[in-house]
Amino acid sequence: MLYIFCPHCGLRSQNEFAYGGDGSVKRPTLNKEVSDKEWDNFVYNRKSPRGKHVELWHHISGCRQWIKVQRDTVTHEIFKTVSADKEI
Amino acid sequence: MKSQSPLNEIYKKGLYGDYENKNEENLIKIKELSNLNIFQIVKYKNSKVLTNDLDVDGLKLSEKTNSVMSNGKTRILWFGPNNWLLVSEDQNLFDKVNKNVKETDFAVTDLSNSRTIIEIEGKLTKEVLKKGCPFNFNELNKNNCINSVFHGITITIDMIEDSPEKIRLFALRSFGESLYHSITDASLEFGYQSI
Repeated sequence: MLYIFCPHCGLRSQNEFAYGGDGSVKRPTLNKEVSDKEWDNFVYNRKSPRGKHVELWHHISGCRQWIKVQRDTVTHEIFKTVSADKEI
Repeated sequence: MKSQSPLNEIYKKGLYGDYENKNEENLIKIKELSNLNIFQIVKYKNSKVLTNDLDVDGLKLSEKTNSVMSNGKTRILWFGPNNWLLVSEDQNLFDKVNKNVKETDFAVTDLSNSRTIIEIEGKLTKEVLKKGCPFNFNELNKNNCINSVFHGITITIDMIEDSPEKIRLFALRSFGESLYHSITDASLEFGYQSI
């Protein structure tokens, strides 16, 4: 079981969280021409990296806030967590 | 409108329980509270009001993580960033909240009929909760509250007293019966009484 440090609540069990996907994906800029390829990349295409990865998690059974987690996909070690509006 | 107990079918004061031939010192006392008013207060993102300056029934909306402000009758639980839960016996709580909490800055929602409240008491209360909740209960002190899970049910835990331990559990109303059964099952080792 993972223990994730919520920047709002403190150290909590993974049971309280829901995985929210890749945290490095950026939405294309609003009111700007977007190609099909860019939109595909935003909506569907994801990398499956081996090693450090930034992820979104939702503290759904806690403070109900989204957070960003930098985690190693091999060792599951968590290096850093910040609230979703901040950059890691 | 009269509120109906969510545990009407399974909880009866003084009935059921498992306390014969058990050590009385270790007994867990369980009761349902169905007469409390619950309000959720959420501060809007664009609001510039300082919550520490606000006064609700003589209490502040504290921004301190996992803290509870209490005056005996009313308790204000930190529920998340800019999010609080007011729990009170006071039937005029809504008027008091509206007096100081402006609707341009805050959303106030009455949750009184949407939650099940179970209060458990006894010196082994934390041991019961440890059986289904992954939180480190060594860190839970008097006037602390947390949101967590108990056997997969999302709950809010409010520690009212620490000697003997007295804890209130809040869950969504529809999960109330499952939570009650989970709590009573976890209490069987020590024995429990419905009070």
